[in-house]
Amino acid sequence: MKISIDWLKEYIPVTHTVEEIANKVSLTGIESAPVELGTDLSNLVVGHITSLKPHPDSDHLNLCQVDVGQAEYIQIVCGAPNVAEGQYVIVALDGANLPAGKEIKKGAIRGQESNGMICGLDELGVEESLVPKAFQKGIYVFPSVEEPGADAKELLGLNDQMVDLDITPNRADTLGMRGAAWEIGATYDEKPVFKDPVIDDSKVEDDDNLKINIEADDLVQDYLVRTIKNVQVAESPLWIQRRLWNQGIQPVNNIIDAANYVMIEYGEPIQVYDLDNLTDETISVEMATDGHKLNLGKDDTKDLNHDDLVINSGDQTLGLAGVVNGTSAQVDDDTRNILIESAVFDGTSVRKAAQRHDLRGDASNRFEKGVDTGAVEISLNRTVELIASITKIQSISQVIVGKQTPAEPTVIKASIDHVNRLMGITLSADEMIGILDRLGFSTEQNGDELTVTIPTRRWDMSIEADLIEEIMRIYGYENLQGTLPSGNETLGGYTPQREFINKLKNILLSEGMDETINFGLVSKQEARDFNYIDSEYTRVLHPMTEDHEFLRTSLIPGLIKNVAYNKARKNSDLSLFEEGRIFDRESGHDRPKEVEYIGGIITGKVGTDSWNTSAKEIDFYDVKGIVEELLSFVELDSEVEYRASKEIGNLHPGQTAAILFDDQVMGYVGKIHPEYQSAHSIDDAFVFELNVDKLLAQPKKNVKAMSAPKYPSVTRDLAILVAKNITSGEIVKQIFNDGGQYLKDVNIFDVYQGSNIENGHKSLGYHLIFQNSNDTLTYDTVEKAFTQIKTGLINKFNVEVR
Amino acid sequence: MSLNDRLKELRENGINDAKRAQHLQDLNDLRVQLLGKKGPITQALRGMKDVPKEQRPEIGTLANNVKKDIQTAIESRIEEVNKRIIAQKLQEETLDVTLPAQSHEVGTKHILNQTIEDIEQFFIGLGYEVAPGYEVEEDHYNFERLNIPKDHPARDMQDTFYITNELLMRTQTSAQEGRDMDAHDFSKGPLKMISPGIVYRRDDDDATHSHQFHQLEGLVVDKNISMADLKGTLEALCRHVFGPDREIRFRPSFFPFTEPSVEVDVSCFNCGGEGCRICKYTGWIEVLGAGLTHPNVLEMSGIDSNVYSAFAFGLGPERFAMLKYGIDDIRDFYTNDVRFLEQFKGVN
Repeated sequence: MKISIDWLKEYIPVTHTVEEIANKVSLTGIESAPVELGTDLSNLVVGHITSLKPHPDSDHLNLCQVDVGQAEYIQIVCGAPNVAEGQYVIVALDGANLPAGKEIKKGAIRGQESNGMICGLDELGVEESLVPKAFQKGIYVFPSVEEPGADAKELLGLNDQMVDLDITPNRADTLGMRGAAWEIGATYDEKPVFKDPVIDDSKVEDDDNLKINIEADDLVQDYLVRTIKNVQVAESPLWIQRRLWNQGIQPVNNIIDAANYVMIEYGEPIQVYDLDNLTDETISVEMATDGHKLNLGKDDTKDLNHDDLVINSGDQTLGLAGVVNGTSAQVDDDTRNILIESAVFDGTSVRKAAQRHDLRGDASNRFEKGVDTGAVEISLNRTVELIASITKIQSISQVIVGKQTPAEPTVIKASIDHVNRLMGITLSADEMIGILDRLGFSTEQNGDELTVTIPTRRWDMSIEADLIEEIMRIYGYENLQGTLPSGNETLGGYTPQREFINKLKNILLSEGMDETINFGLVSKQEARDFNYIDSEYTRVLHPMTEDHEFLRTSLIPGLIKNVAYNKARKNSDLSLFEEGRIFDRESGHDRPKEVEYIGGIITGKVGTDSWNTSAKEIDFYDVKGIVEELLSFVELDSEVEYRASKEIGNLHPGQTAAILFDDQVMGYVGKIHPEYQSAHSIDDAFVFELNVDKLLAQPKKNVKAMSAPKYPSVTRDLAILVAKNITSGEIVKQIFNDGGQYLKDVNIFDVYQGSNIENGHKSLGYHLIFQNSNDTLTYDTVEKAFTQIKTGLINKFNVEVR
Repeated sequence: MSLNDRLKELRENGINDAKRAQHLQDLNDLRVQLLGKKGPITQALRGMKDVPKEQRPEIGTLANNVKKDIQTAIESRIEEVNKRIIAQKLQEETLDVTLPAQSHEVGTKHILNQTIEDIEQFFIGLGYEVAPGYEVEEDHYNFERLNIPKDHPARDMQDTFYITNELLMRTQTSAQEGRDMDAHDFSKGPLKMISPGIVYRRDDDDATHSHQFHQLEGLVVDKNISMADLKGTLEALCRHVFGPDREIRFRPSFFPFTEPSVEVDVSCFNCGGEGCRICKYTGWIEVLGAGLTHPNVLEMSGIDSNVYSAFAFGLGPERFAMLKYGIDDIRDFYTNDVRFLEQFKGVN
C-alpha cells in the first residue's frame, strides 16, 4: 500500500524525505520504495471559465475566457465536450509541462488565440480508470469553488509524496493508514495520535425493521451494520477524491467514496448498500445456492456455487462477501437510504472465492491476509461520521449486530535472557520495554519475565519468537555483530553417494565431456522413448505444458534434445553428459523411486582437423571407451560384461550392449537408432546410461598393495579364424577359462574380415601375457597353458588357429 | 733433423691438423693415425737408439708430452665440433611455438554445479554435512512440517506440481529440514547441514522464471544458536562467494518456517556500494532469505524449543550465478548450448 505523506502527517510528525523514510522502513520493518507524484508537471493553475462561445471555424471547439488569477482573463480554445461556463477547471498555462515531455505553448488554433490548455486528469498522468466517470471523456471540473490561479497540482494531490510498502503476508496491519502510522512511527520513535469518530447523538434513532441472519456462522466472525436515512448522493469533496485516486481507487460518489476512504484509513473493508433495494429489509449472510447469479452490471454476471459466501436479501444476492458488491443494491444517484456494513469474514473462504471468480481486489486482499478484529465497530462509526460530515443526512441507526466476537488482546510472555540469547546481543529489560512501547505494546516485568499485551491491530503476534523479531528489528539488525555457531565440533562432508557421483563426474569431465542439466519433467513421448527400466509413468496433476508433464525415466531424451539444440546452432561435435535423478515407479505405488543415473552422448567427430591432426568420425568404440574408463574407476570386485542387446528401444539393434556386473544390468551403451536419429534431426550419436546407485551398491574390490613383479612376463600371440557371430567377449572369456593361473592379460590387437578370409568368418589376433610373480616362467609352463587355450577354443568355437 | 726437432715438428703438425678437422670421424682418424702404434711418433722413437744415453730420458719425456698435447688438441677439437653439431641440430629443430597443439580437452562442469560445489566446499569446511533430498516429496515435509498448514496461500495448487493430493514435486529444499531433524541424534552434537537440489514451481519459463531451478538450504540446530550466528555465517559465505570486502545487511521479512525472518543483501560487488546498474543504484543486492527456525518447526521434530534453537537459510544457485557472471536469461542454464557451458571452464 502507498502511504501518503500528506495523510500520514495527520497522525505523526514527518520530518524526513520519502527516500529516507523508505530506506529506514525497509531496514526495520517492511520493504518500501519512495514514490514522488507529479514530478513532470508544472504551471498548472485553477481556472474559472467566465464565458464561452463556439469557435467560428469549428463545430466542436469553444473559445473560453478563463480567470486564472491574473489581471486579465485569458482566452483558451477547448475541444472537450463537457466544458461549460462557470466551471472551475485545471489550466496548463503557457510554458506548462505535462507528462511524457509534453510542453504547452500559447498559439493559435484555427486562427483563434489560445493561451494554454484546459486539462483532463488523464492528461496530468492520472490513470484513466481512476478518473471519476463523469470526467473520463473530457476535462476535470473541480467539485467546488476554488481560487483562480491557485496551484492546481497541490489541490489535486499531485504534489504528494508516498512511501510504497511492499508488505509480507504477516504485516497486513499496515494495509491501513493508522497501522502504517504505527509502523513508521515506531521506526522514528513517534507515537501516532488518532481522533476517535464522533457521531451526533441527536440523529441516532432505532431502526427495528432490519433483520440480519448469519447462516454461515463459521465463516463470519463479525457482522455489524448501521443505516442512514435521507442521504444526498453527490460527488465527494476534492480532499477525499484526491486521496482515493492517489490510492488507485476511482472516486464514484460520496457514499461509496466514504466507505473506501475508511477502508484505507482503518484497513477495514466497508460495504454500502441501497437500503430501499433490500427485500423485506432482511440481510442473510449465507452460502450461495448453486446456479444463482451475481450481477456485476454491463452484462457481467458470475455463476455462484455453494462454496461462495454471499450477502443475500430475500431472493437477491447483494454481493459476494468480502469480495465485491453486485448491482442490485448499489448506491447510486437515486439512493436515499443506505446500509453500511463492517464485517470480518473468513480469510481462506474470501481468498478462494476471489480466485474462483477472478475478482481479487482491495477488500478481498485485506480479508485474506487478516484485519483488526478490534476495529470493526470503530471503522463502521467512522464511516457514519465521515458521511455525515460531507452530506446532509436525516437519521442514523444504532449499531445493528448480526454477530460480534469480542476482540481480546494477545498476551505473550518472554524471558529477557532467552530473548537476548536468541538474538546474540544483550539488551536490558528497560531497553526491551522501551522498544515494545514504541510499537504500542504494554509490558510488565517480573524478574526475567516480560508479560507483553499486544493490541488487536497486531494479530500476527502470538509467541515469544514474534516479540524477538519486533525487538530485533526496531533495535536494528545493523547493530548485530556476526558470530559463528560455537557448539561441539562436527565432521561435515558429502554422503558416500555424493562422493561417488563427484568421482564419476570428474572422470567424464577428464574424458572431455561437458556437463549438462536437463529438466526432470518431460513430455509423454520423452518419458516413453528410453524407458528401458520399464517404469510406470508418473504424471503431475496440473502440468503447465505437455512438454513438462511426466517425470523422466531416462537421461537420454534430454541429452538428445541438447544435441538437436546445439546442432541447429552449428555446434555439431558434441560430447555431453548429465548426472541426475530418474523416476522409477512400480505399479501400485504413488511415489516413484528416485534413482541417480549418469548418462552421456557423443556425436560428430572426435579430435580436431588441424595442421598436424585429423578428426575422425565417432563410432561405438569411442563411447564404449568412455564407459570402460568410467567403470575402471568404480573398482568393482567383478568383471564387466558387455552383452549385445537388440531389445533396448530406439537404439541400433546391432550396436548396442547391455552393461552387466554379475549378471545384473547396470546400464547400456549403444548407437541411436537411425529412424529415431532422423526424427530428431541429429547426426549419428552414441549414448550410454548407468545406474549410479546400483554401481555404488556393488561389492568393492579390496585393494591390497603388492610390489611390482620382479620376474619378467612372457607374451604369446594367438591368431585365430572364427565364425563371425562369435563375439570377442566369448573368446576372451574362454581364453581365461583355460589359461591357467599365470595368464594375466589378454589384449586384442587385430580384427579382420574381408578378402582372403573365409566367408562368414573373421580373423582375430590376441596378445596373451603370462606372469608368475614368484618365479621365472619356464617355456614348458607357458607352452602348456597356450596349448590348453588353443584346444579349448577349437573345441568350443571350432576356431582355426593360424 | 734431430729427434728432438722431429718430435716438435710432429707436435706442431698434429695440433694444426686437429684444429683444422671438421668432422668427428676425421678427428678419430687423426687420433689413430698420429697416436697409434704405427703412428709417426712411435716411428720416430725408433731413432732413440742413436740418441746418447744421457739424453734419452729427456727425449722420452718430450715424446710423452707431444702425445699428450696432440691428444688434448684432438679432444678439445672434438668438443668444439660436438657443440657445433648440437647448435646446428637445435637450429634445425626450431618450431613455430605459436601453432596450436593437439587438443586433449577436458570438459566443463555445469556452471550451476560449479556454483553449488563452491558453496558446498565452504560449508564442509565449517563442518556441515551435505544432505541430498527428494525431488518428489510428501506434502507433509514440503509444507506441513514447515509451518505451512493446509489452507495457507503458499499451498495454492497453482504454484505447485502435485502428483497426488499428498505427493508433489518439492517447491523448496527446505522440505529436507524436517527429515534431517527427525534423523539426527542430538546426543552426538549439533546438526549442521546444507541440502542443495532441484525444486519445481508452476511457472511459465521466461528470462527470469523457470519451472525447474535449484535451491540450497542450510540448517544449524544446537543449544544457543542465535541471530548473530546466522549473520556471521552468511557474512562469511558472502565474502567467500562475492569477495572479501563484502558487507551484508539483514532486512525483516516473512517466511512461515522462520521467526524472525530476514532477507539478506550483500554490498554490490560491482560498484562496492556506490550504486550501479547491477544493484539498481542501491549499493545492495538481495541474495537470500534466512531466519531463526520457527519454534513450531522444531517442536514438530520433537526438539524442545526452550532448549534448542536453530537458524536456516535458503539461496538460489541460479541467482548467485546470474549475479556473479552477468547471466541475464535463466533459460540459458537448461538449453545447454556448449558455447554457453564451455565459457565457464575453470571459473571455480
